[in-house]
Amino acid sequence: MLKNITLGQYFPGNSIIHRLDPRTKLILTLVYIVVLFMCTNPSGYVICLIVLCACIAVSQIKPKLILRGMKPLIIVIIITGLLNVFYTRGGTVLASFWVLTITVEGIRNAIFMTLRILMLVSGTFLMTYTTSPLALTDAMESLMNPLKKIKMPVHELSMMMSIALRFIPTLIEETDKIMSAQKARGADFDSGNILQKAKALLPLLIPLFISAFRRADELAVAMEARGYHGGEGRTKMKQLRYTASDAAAFVSGAAFTAAVIATRFLPV
Amino acid sequence: MDNILIKTENVTYTYEGEPALRGISLSFKHGEFAAILGHNGSGKSTFAKTLNALNIPGGGKVWVDGLDTSVEENIPKIRASVGMVFQNPDNQIVASIVEDDVAFGCENTGVDPAEIRGRVDDALEAVRMSAFKTHATHQLSGGQKQRVAIAGAIAARPKCIVLDESTAMLDPRGRAEVLEVAHRLNKEMGITIILITHHMREVIDADRVIVFTDGFVLADGTPQEVFVNTEILDEAGLGVPDTVRLCEELGLPLDALNIDDCAEQIIGAVNSGAMSVQSADEAEQPSDAVFDRYVLETTELKHLYSPDTPFETEALRGIDFKLPQGIFAGIIGHTGSGKSTFIQHLNGLLKPSSGRILLNAEDIWGGGKIMPGVRGKVGLVFQYPEYQLFEETCAKDIAFGPRNLKLSEAEIAERVTEAAKFVGLKPDLLDKSPFALSGGEKRRVAIAGVIAMRPDVLILDEPTAGLDPSGSEFILENLREYQLATGCTLVLVTHSMEEIAEYADIIYVFNDGNIEFSGAKETIFARSGRLREIGLDIPEVTQVILKLRELGLPVNPSVYTVKKAAEEIKRYVKC
Repeated sequence: MLKNITLGQYFPGNSIIHRLDPRTKLILTLVYIVVLFMCTNPSGYVICLIVLCACIAVSQIKPKLILRGMKPLIIVIIITGLLNVFYTRGGTVLASFWVLTITVEGIRNAIFMTLRILMLVSGTFLMTYTTSPLALTDAMESLMNPLKKIKMPVHELSMMMSIALRFIPTLIEETDKIMSAQKARGADFDSGNILQKAKALLPLLIPLFISAFRRADELAVAMEARGYHGGEGRTKMKQLRYTASDAAAFVSGAAFTAAVIATRFLPV
Repeated sequence: MDNILIKTENVTYTYEGEPALRGISLSFKHGEFAAILGHNGSGKSTFAKTLNALNIPGGGKVWVDGLDTSVEENIPKIRASVGMVFQNPDNQIVASIVEDDVAFGCENTGVDPAEIRGRVDDALEAVRMSAFKTHATHQLSGGQKQRVAIAGAIAARPKCIVLDESTAMLDPRGRAEVLEVAHRLNKEMGITIILITHHMREVIDADRVIVFTDGFVLADGTPQEVFVNTEILDEAGLGVPDTVRLCEELGLPLDALNIDDCAEQIIGAVNSGAMSVQSADEAEQPSDAVFDRYVLETTELKHLYSPDTPFETEALRGIDFKLPQGIFAGIIGHTGSGKSTFIQHLNGLLKPSSGRILLNAEDIWGGGKIMPGVRGKVGLVFQYPEYQLFEETCAKDIAFGPRNLKLSEAEIAERVTEAAKFVGLKPDLLDKSPFALSGGEKRRVAIAGVIAMRPDVLILDEPTAGLDPSGSEFILENLREYQLATGCTLVLVTHSMEEIAEYADIIYVFNDGNIEFSGAKETIFARSGRLREIGLDIPEVTQVILKLRELGLPVNPSVYTVKKAAEEIKRYVKC
């Protein structure tokens, strides 16, 4: 049952977007988010939307997958929309009842806000769908490297991240196994009130924690035996390298930013 | 002297107040293949960890290539020369991708990136895992994971690799893969191998066998020299290979360590007149016993994993299974044959995709919902059940099942005592924390936890996995007594043909989601050819008997234990 959870939303592929350096994708996604919040008029949104759709098309990720990923966010998006409709003050009043007033500006804000969130989420999904979690970890380590100067444990953080990613499938499998074993002894994880349910989880959680600690212990010994001694003097087999397509991506990113900024000077 | 790679001198080590090593002086030569044998807790793993400075001896010294392991500055060099592969395949792989994991050791020592690439490719080639270079590590089989771990050690260009019980958690196939790689590295690349194990069969091809017991070296020599001393080995809780045992029964010299040697030894004795051929009686034909009452039945049982997705796989392909009441049954099959999926259907943990499961002639999914109480009636002990222990005391943990059955406190207490007795657990251990016990004791507590539910059918999935021979025998003997005392039905799921041969009355052979064949064990072992084809071993003594037939001695091939084989051979020859 737990096997069905997909972790790390990566969908392997071989598109230009897949092959970009993960650092490029990380930076450009951040740029895209900032630009989204700089949009002040419809033409800005149109440009963002076109760029987003173009990227999705190039990535060969099925739009259905991105839409499916948004399902859990529907409620957040609806609430944000409604709040914008009702809480925008001033402007032309369309309708008014009790304490609620709907204005043209309100509707306009609501539409833009909803669009902004949808595009923001699609953009980040596109990045995680096309980049393996490990590559992302590498990218973060590399981009945060300057922070080592202010004593940030950058290497340790990224090592922890990648080990966590490595052990997630193992621990899920183990959870499944312990759950079955306790069910075979008559444990009931499904019925009862919240308190009873929480208590019923102890026979699952205690062995799981103990095993996680045992694994951590053994892994530490194995890493020590293989000469691990922290990030100092360490090399990496896979070096991140910017290529021509990364350069092209950065140029396109700059053009996109400039275009959106330019729309701010257009009359609304 | 120059040829010595590792030398230990009077090494002692204390582990949590208990002396684990009591003065070990050994040396290992360049290019040697040495095996260290010992029961659980004999100190063999503690010793292994002193060889690459993971453990620094409390007394005495260890030198690797002339470097003293107690000197801090030597440690990086020592760890680069002595690679180590551990027991649990899951807990030593650092990276999510195969090639990244192999690179880990080189990255740590700061090897140039281009050079690492080459070394990683060579190392993966050496363990025949190149095709899996970019695969996810968690999807590999146990044997493949251990080969990746070995590749990781090779990439660091070691002079010696220590395999610290690296085969203990693997199935026979995985075990064979790892041993094949170890022998090849030793022969082709001249790497010294130190293989630590408690499996007798794994050491017979080694140049040298060292036997550990209670922190001492009990014996040290070639396998032939060591295995002649059957008494010493029995004393160390290890036992000897069945071929040696057979020669012992027949009064022949004890240096036959493999099937061919043993068969030739016997034929040689016959030809030289030491044994003379007697007129053979007509071999009795094995026949299937007839049963009239079945406690569990399945009809056309099918199971699909991930139905309606691209990952859909048919794990069970329509199984018809009948389990006679009150019998000791065995299920055998290699990993992936569907046996684990199958047994989880028998107590309703998994729901069949189609087909029926009948418990005492009643469909357990009859009303669409699972029949109440089925998990109490069909007890299931999983692999490595000690990992499910969670209570403060053993008694409370054993009581978990009965308590879920909503029994009275008095009844629960009675069942706990009874179950503990069945698995041979001393009463004073009941008030201790399960986490303070030894591995074998923990496993017994976990088995008692299911026995305490007083199931009609008790199913055990690999109850002896990872235990040493004496620990395994203890558990199986207790289970046999339990089965005889209660008259319940017992199902033993295992990879080991020897275990099945010794204990089970009837056998079900699983292959590729189906029952390949089933019946009384005599009829099963007579079909050795087919068993081999589907990747299962047949008992060692049966192999000897088959070899004898090949060599012209008309013995009955359906024997499976040392005693029976000896009797069978004696029917034809006079000792």
